[in-house]
Amino acid sequence: MKFDETFYTMKLLLIFIQIVAASFLLSDELSGRWESKPSPKGSVTTVVFKSGNRFEGFVNKKPFVSGTYTYVDSVFHFSDNGCNGVAGDYRIIFYNNADSMRFETIQDSCTERMHGMERLRLGKVK
Amino acid sequence: MKTTITVIVLLCLCIFSGASFTSRTINTKEDLGRKLFFDPILSEDSTISCASCHRPEFAFADTARVSVGVHQRNGKRNSPSAMNLLIQEKFFWDGRADSLEQQALAPIENPDEMNLSLDEALRRLNNSKDYAQLFDRFYQSGATRASLASAIASFERTLETGESSFDEWKITDDSSLVSPAVMRGFDIFSTKGKCTSCHFGSNFTRNDFRNIGLFNGVDLNDSGRAVITGNPADIGKFKTPGLRNVALTAPYMHNGMFRTLKEVIQFYNDPGKIVPDAICRDSVLAKPLGLTEQDMADLEAFLLSVTDKQFTNTTAKSGK
Repeated sequence: MKFDETFYTMKLLLIFIQIVAASFLLSDELSGRWESKPSPKGSVTTVVFKSGNRFEGFVNKKPFVSGTYTYVDSVFHFSDNGCNGVAGDYRIIFYNNADSMRFETIQDSCTERMHGMERLRLGKVK
Repeated sequence: MKTTITVIVLLCLCIFSGASFTSRTINTKEDLGRKLFFDPILSEDSTISCASCHRPEFAFADTARVSVGVHQRNGKRNSPSAMNLLIQEKFFWDGRADSLEQQALAPIENPDEMNLSLDEALRRLNNSKDYAQLFDRFYQSGATRASLASAIASFERTLETGESSFDEWKITDDSSLVSPAVMRGFDIFSTKGKCTSCHFGSNFTRNDFRNIGLFNGVDLNDSGRAVITGNPADIGKFKTPGLRNVALTAPYMHNGMFRTLKEVIQFYNDPGKIVPDAICRDSVLAKPLGLTEQDMADLEAFLLSVTDKQFTNTTAKSGK
């Protein structure tokens, strides 16, 4: 009986470690600072993926948007303070040896955000 | 004779040093725009400059409900801040100008503001040796409508601010840079307060037009955007202003009817209580927000936190 309990606890612990490790590994692909090229008007968008699955967006170095996200199997699921808490799902397509990314809409009822996301191209800031 | 020569030499030196100072300080078309912005030469009686109604110490806004122009004439609407216009797309409360260049010229000819024809403004500038030289230097011709608009707009585009305590918090992720009230206020701003429905973006505006319930067709009878578009659906709509440095830009709204941020927040919390007979108020404000006194105090703390450091330091940069 005691053996079963220990085995069960260890199994739970292992699963927990796997989840934590997986989330670290996955978020590593995004974590850090990403930046767009200047728009025709000269605006530069920066997105910083932070610890705790949070992100901040900036336009010309001014805070623009705050939100939380998950990133599993290429799917970027997030909500921010610009769309009344409505979440959107996008597939992230990496290119240029994973130095750049763009977003492909899976679903987002927030139309204004969707238009912005579809245009967005970000390059990793090293 | 010796004294006379000394005086003449000194006088020449003074004139020469003065001229070189001018040429040193005006090195770009933005500098030329700044000179024009502060110069009353562009008003009929040479008493009013752009800076008379867009005062640097108040984030380039005015403290009057409506600004006073030449001959003590009252304007029709509150002077908004002339800062943080770089990425805006429409200008004036009703959005009648599509570019900053178009906006820059309008107050010169407005009878309630500077009341000077553009032809006369250009004649004055081209008759000024100083200005004629400067326009020639930066635009390779005398002053024209296009170069005058370009110079003023170029200066206005330099008036960007992005160094408030709120900015620092977001950039560094160091929450010790703002108070808990600011953090709570930002959360209310983004959720319960519904503020981001309109005030979202790097300057806290979506740059669109909304009817917030300050049109009743009686004592509040400025129909705003509808006059420009001719669309009845636009009645009572005005451009959503940005909120950077909003603590400095009282009074508030297109008609300057609220004297403090507290009054503004109280209005949004229950617009129907202040203007019960509003026509076509935006659906976002259909129901009272139900903010508590603490919520409203926190919201105000957040709004104060978007004041740029150049203003929170004791001496404001005048830009002059």
